[in-house]
Amino acid sequence: MISLTINEKEVTLDKPVTVLEAAKQAGIKIPTLCHHDLLKPWSGCRLCVVEVERMPRLQTACTLMAADGMVIKTESEAISNVRRGILEFLLINHPLDCPYCDKAGECELQDLVNKYGPTVGRYKEEKRKVPESHKDQIIARNTERCVMCTRCVRMCNDVQGASAISIIGRGNHSRMEPFSSESFDCEYCGNCLTVCPVGAILSRLYIHSFRPWQVDKEVGTICSYCGVGCSLVVQVRDDSIKRVIPKLGFGLNKGLLCSRGRFGYEYVNSPDRLKTPLVRKNGKLEESTWSEALSIIADKLTEIKGTSGGSAIAGIASPRCSNEDNYVLQKFMRVTCGSNNIDSLSRTGFAAAQKYFEDLLGQGITANIIDGIKNSEVVLVIGGDPTAVNPILGLSIREAARRGASIIVLGHAKGLEKFKTVQVVPPLFKEAEVLEALLVELFRAKGVRAELPFIDKEMRELSEKAAEKMDLPGFDELMKALLNSASTSIVLGMDLIQRTNGHRSLFGVAGITYLLEARLYLLSERPNEQGLIDAGCVPDMLPGGRPMNIPDFKSKFEAAWNGPIPDDDGLTLFEIIEGIKNRNIKALYVMGENPVFNLPGGPFLKDIFGNLDLLVVQDIFLTETAEIADVVLPALGWAEKSGTYTNLERRIQLQKQAVKTSRGMEDWRILSEISGRMGQKMGYLETDDIMREMAKVSPLYADLTYDEIGKGDCLWPYHGKPLRGEMNEVPPVVDAEKDYKADFYLAPEKLLFHSGTLSRKSPALMKICPEPTLKMSAASAGKLGLKEGDRVQFSTTAGSSEAPVSIDESIKDNRVFLSNNFQGSGVMDLLSFSIDEVTKAFGIEGCEVEIKKHGIKA
Amino acid sequence: MFGETVLKEIDEIRVKYPDRRSALLPSLYIAQREFGWLSQEAMQCVAKALNLSESIVRGTASFYSMFKHKPVGRHLIQLCTNVSCMILGAERLVDFLGNKYGLQPDGTTEDGRLSLVVMECIGACGTAPAMLINTDFYDNLSEKRIEEILEKYK
Repeated sequence: MISLTINEKEVTLDKPVTVLEAAKQAGIKIPTLCHHDLLKPWSGCRLCVVEVERMPRLQTACTLMAADGMVIKTESEAISNVRRGILEFLLINHPLDCPYCDKAGECELQDLVNKYGPTVGRYKEEKRKVPESHKDQIIARNTERCVMCTRCVRMCNDVQGASAISIIGRGNHSRMEPFSSESFDCEYCGNCLTVCPVGAILSRLYIHSFRPWQVDKEVGTICSYCGVGCSLVVQVRDDSIKRVIPKLGFGLNKGLLCSRGRFGYEYVNSPDRLKTPLVRKNGKLEESTWSEALSIIADKLTEIKGTSGGSAIAGIASPRCSNEDNYVLQKFMRVTCGSNNIDSLSRTGFAAAQKYFEDLLGQGITANIIDGIKNSEVVLVIGGDPTAVNPILGLSIREAARRGASIIVLGHAKGLEKFKTVQVVPPLFKEAEVLEALLVELFRAKGVRAELPFIDKEMRELSEKAAEKMDLPGFDELMKALLNSASTSIVLGMDLIQRTNGHRSLFGVAGITYLLEARLYLLSERPNEQGLIDAGCVPDMLPGGRPMNIPDFKSKFEAAWNGPIPDDDGLTLFEIIEGIKNRNIKALYVMGENPVFNLPGGPFLKDIFGNLDLLVVQDIFLTETAEIADVVLPALGWAEKSGTYTNLERRIQLQKQAVKTSRGMEDWRILSEISGRMGQKMGYLETDDIMREMAKVSPLYADLTYDEIGKGDCLWPYHGKPLRGEMNEVPPVVDAEKDYKADFYLAPEKLLFHSGTLSRKSPALMKICPEPTLKMSAASAGKLGLKEGDRVQFSTTAGSSEAPVSIDESIKDNRVFLSNNFQGSGVMDLLSFSIDEVTKAFGIEGCEVEIKKHGIKA
Repeated sequence: MFGETVLKEIDEIRVKYPDRRSALLPSLYIAQREFGWLSQEAMQCVAKALNLSESIVRGTASFYSMFKHKPVGRHLIQLCTNVSCMILGAERLVDFLGNKYGLQPDGTTEDGRLSLVVMECIGACGTAPAMLINTDFYDNLSEKRIEEILEKYK
């Protein structure tokens, strides 16, 4: 216990902290410019000087550790003189352009000068003149205003790990600059904006558009982009979003944001938003009224249910919609329409993997706190780049590297290039074999764990079958690291799940997780992939992850919902598509999803969706799928509605309404209206009503309330009881014969700056990353005689496209990567695929691609 | 791009230090030797060889005035004009270089042969005026002696 006196106040500390922190705990504010809670102490600005009894000089509070018996004064005439002197020096060069500086009102320098002076400057010399840089489209850099606190540089190097900016030059000429000295070639996280104390770094998204004090309200909510679910604050004026800023020290991101979260909000106000319902008349989508559109849907669904039965209806849920929306959708499908055919595009990755792991290892196996990655000894990254898919989770991996963890990348991950310890590159499409070999070696070294005998048995069989050790560069190092690690985190991306026999990789990962008692993290591209599973938007499970095939669960829900739930097994995503193709499914209800664009084989889907008697799409934009729908209903987007979301670590968080709009209706309200018209009244007035019902019927959410969720720490398993694993044997491996000899293979890529339908309507993200590129290794580019930026045409059996080439040093095999974000040039349309028998996800492997330099005729 | 031998040289420097950043200054000297000056490309090569961020490389390089941040001629003359050298006629020598070779301070001759930097004391006050050509040292300078010396640097 440390006791000290600050400004005659007794302060007791339970752990050693700096004087600055101790004062903060005592409610005493010491001024700082270079110190920031997100950064390490630096003691560059000297403003935090304090008087310490028996110490000869003033001391910097940010670096001085509080010691027992210290007597400290944070304000005195001597201290004020020093602070005033420092500020006078800073004002030699800092322009007094506060009237038009966007920072005025929230400028730390302005506040300090206001408090300590000086009131006049004694320097007659000219101020340093540096023209404002207009070279970057997102970040406005005004070096004249910079006070050289280096917060931005330290943020970029020590926290974000992008190291994109540094102090260039020396003395009076030093300035913050990116490498190119012009535009930023960085991750555009904008965390430098957060920490800049003055107006030297500003965002062009809101520059000169409002003053910081002119906001009507600030709403603390969560991000709408990926499965991490960062906390942020939306500042609103006149019902439009002025800017998005982080909430320091709050949520799982603790004040850090990524490019999508910080700059990607503009889609909410896109002029392309749907405003009224659209109904297809004479082959054309025409503007309609809510009552007409809803009646058409209700009548048609009732008719189909009557003639062909409920099983002729299917629904696709949305990982972008809230738990409440998805809960109401599955209830609508099951009870009102009488169909268990409810699934989502998460089946192609997250939901498929999650089900496999939970069946094997028990419910909640993927519910691990993201922050825990930082304390791992080994982080094994498989099948994707976490810093692109879930950037804030990626930062935890970088932090783990700084703390001395081994970062092992199986495959490639560009964002971890400077942080990885070993990179193991499996032979093309042989990741499953490598994982199996790894599992076998670990099993041979560690023996059975004897917790789940059926997994032990499977591993024993594998190790008996396996011949000699795999000969692969880095493999031994990987083995050794895993065996010596006391705490291992495994981060699994979707890349390996989306394989012809993805389940084989999944067993490898499950086995390693089980043997090493590792923490398992599933990367999640969308904000509510976990939530929609928990809400019951999977064909085989009711809300709370309760299996359909146990009659007692079913009858409990039937009683709660006032209606029968059909007995038959529902169809998974690709079975629904097969059903549409065979004309067994006659109506498809799509909520907030764009299957035509987001699934491989878009043209084929577009074609067979023509078979449907009714295709309803509920969305905020006229997506590729909405374009071919019979009825399109405008929904509300992020910041326009409230609801709960469950992130990849199974934290339930509240997304709050920030702006009002008359454009659309909440997804659940639309469904509830239709249900009422079909004779099944739902009776919800607000989202609270749905949450109350969910808390009552779903054992996972038992007793949860919005108040409790709003506090931000609502973590698995809440109050509910998780089920243990249901599976007693490992599904047999379906092995496909593989022989891949082509020069190049096409594969999908996940971009840091995009997420598909939403990001392409966000002007800022389109400025940062305006067009798709074909990413390939330096070796592949060399083989084709291509250099960075060369335009190429490429074609697969499914189609062709063109894009500039981008060389990615982290890629080490002959795959070429294209993202699925830009209208008309998504990778999904070009891919051939197969369906994994076990996980029901699609498998993309061996999609041969021919690449030609643009303009060269074959 | 660095060749194999240069990369090997940098690798050898790298193992002498506990972390990669410490090997930055000696590697920058190698880049300067290879490229003549620290162009963007030169700094990128160093960043790649040491797996450091480009921006950190530039930040470090730009701090030191002995790294060249713009192209220089084949031979760099660094002439001292501090007190002793000045008294013994260094400024006359600067004029001489201008008149005879068309070489101005911080400039390069048109044929790219010579560059001139007027620098601070190089510690040869006893035998002033003095200069460095590349890494060679010359003192007791006069117009005639400079002319003779420069014959060796084509």
